[in-house]
Amino acid sequence: MGKKFFAGIGLAVFFFGVCLMGGGNSTVYAARQVVVCNWGGNSATFEKECFYDPFEKETGIKVIMTSPPDVAKIKAQVDSGNIEWDVILTDLPAILSLTEEGKPYLEELDYSKLDPKILAQVIPEVKQKYSLGARIYSFNIAYSTKTFKPGTQPKTWADVWDVKKFPGVRSFNNPYGGIMPQYEVFLMADGVPPDKVYPIDVERAWNSLSKLKPHINKWYKSHAEAVQMLVNGETDIACTIGPRVIAEKWKGAAVDVEYNQGKLAADNWCIIKGSKNKEDAYKLINYIMDAKRQACLASQVPYGPSNREAVKYLDPKIADDLNTSPKNLLKQGWQNVKWWVEKGPDGKTNRARSIERFTEWLLK
Amino acid sequence: MEKRTSLFGNLFEKAARRPFCLILPLIAYMFVFYVYPLLRMFAMSLFSPDLTSRHYQSFFQTAANLYSLRVTFEISLLVTMGCLLIGYPMSYYLSTCPARKANLLLILVLIPLWTSVLVRTYAWITILGRNGIINQLLQKSGIIEQPLKLIYNQFGLTIGMVHVMMPFMVLSLYSVMVGIDRNLLKAAQNLGASPFRAFRKVFLPLSMPGVLAGSILVFIISVGFFVTPALLGGPRDLMISMVIDQAVEVMLNWGFASAASFILLFFILGIFLISGKMVGFDKLWGKKI
Repeated sequence: MGKKFFAGIGLAVFFFGVCLMGGGNSTVYAARQVVVCNWGGNSATFEKECFYDPFEKETGIKVIMTSPPDVAKIKAQVDSGNIEWDVILTDLPAILSLTEEGKPYLEELDYSKLDPKILAQVIPEVKQKYSLGARIYSFNIAYSTKTFKPGTQPKTWADVWDVKKFPGVRSFNNPYGGIMPQYEVFLMADGVPPDKVYPIDVERAWNSLSKLKPHINKWYKSHAEAVQMLVNGETDIACTIGPRVIAEKWKGAAVDVEYNQGKLAADNWCIIKGSKNKEDAYKLINYIMDAKRQACLASQVPYGPSNREAVKYLDPKIADDLNTSPKNLLKQGWQNVKWWVEKGPDGKTNRARSIERFTEWLLK
Repeated sequence: MEKRTSLFGNLFEKAARRPFCLILPLIAYMFVFYVYPLLRMFAMSLFSPDLTSRHYQSFFQTAANLYSLRVTFEISLLVTMGCLLIGYPMSYYLSTCPARKANLLLILVLIPLWTSVLVRTYAWITILGRNGIINQLLQKSGIIEQPLKLIYNQFGLTIGMVHVMMPFMVLSLYSVMVGIDRNLLKAAQNLGASPFRAFRKVFLPLSMPGVLAGSILVFIISVGFFVTPALLGGPRDLMISMVIDQAVEVMLNWGFASAASFILLFFILGIFLISGKMVGFDKLWGKKI
């Protein structure tokens, strides 16, 4: 075999290696920019329209969108020091995964960098150490209006558990996609008043769910799956994200949401640990939290705005369908994040333990 | 004729004299994108950060994981048998068709491979679901009153997976069956064997390499299946891939996820070695007897 042959192969491998190494971090950007990782899809289209495009125009800072906020990708970026994202829009379970064990993968938020006037308008429950509420989601009683005519739907979780009075199949989440078991819901169904749910009586919660188990048709892994099942009639009642169901209702599907006894939580703005554009990231978050801009998004994507002033800028009809309308907000309670991240004697958080227990419980 | 003297011409000529060189690019590719990541993952499963076997221990200490390993094995076996049961007669028929017709039918077998698994899985929901075609037909014709539960259990899951895996089985079987000399069957019948006996004593043994190759292929791909079991399965159909996914995405425990992946890899290797010992390795590659 000729030397040239091996030289050729060696050269090829070398260049190949160079390409591999250069892929991530060697790009040099001239202009200022913020990379936002959101959930993509329909919501991202309107986020661009209501937030990112006007922000770019006003500040000259370019916003680059990417999706989805895959927890594993965030971990890989931080661990390898090859950080591509700045601002992340993600949900509570993801944030808990990223911050509860060992070193946090998100920046601790510096609230002094945000406008105090706007911060005062934001719902206090969503101002957290690593995250600031962007929009509010909620676990609600979602139902098919083909099965239940308006007014006859189950109005409490106890109703959902009452299979004689409200016949039909139910769907709840399984633990495989990271959605935590709905302890709060299971307890309310068992007669615990909404304001007495915490600290959670775990045994009572599982006993309560065991009673409903035979009537659950599908344990879904993702909310998209749950909403799809409601829309095509695979299920009559689902415990899933209310705003996602409202979005289908606005499109004309025969589904609706009962907000009573809902569990509120937030999709949040976070900054990835070691972000290269931290200052501009804060600027963008500040810009987005503005009431009018939040109203702009909520009129298209029916998640509740985290800025309480936003409702003022919305058509009352749209506002009535949102989980943070003053009327609906009163019917629901906030998920207590503190309880979920509390560690037991084994060093595991309640969240981690609940997911392990859920897996074992389902297999029984 | 003048010899080509360009660098590449020379290289190719030299390479052609040593056919081994022709697989060097593949080896390089596999090394960079398969062997290296695999080794990294193996290291991840053993260090956290010091050398430890705790990830492997925690896998075997949790009942759910062992259960999942068993379910994965059962479902994969069920799917393999389902594919064989439907695929064998189909491939037999295909192998008797004239080439043109066989090609046309083979394209029909292949078309599902061009559609995403997700789409095919959702299609099964619209067919087998509560308001699906089958339940609607049965209800309208008065055969049943309440819809049958055809999905979100092992039944629906098996149907969905058999559909996805069928092309792999049919292609493995067909490639072997088409090479079987039909004169052997005629000879057997000439010597007084009934058509069934001729099939059982002559065709079936000759087609075994295809059966083995197809079964191993389907089984091994099924073991790692993810989308279809998650969407069509019930709460107890916890495939090992779902355990790994949960460890990667939800618990961020990559050490455990790597350990579980290696346990799965050893599990598959074990099955492969046992079946190889039992029937001979050359048969597993689909080599003719």
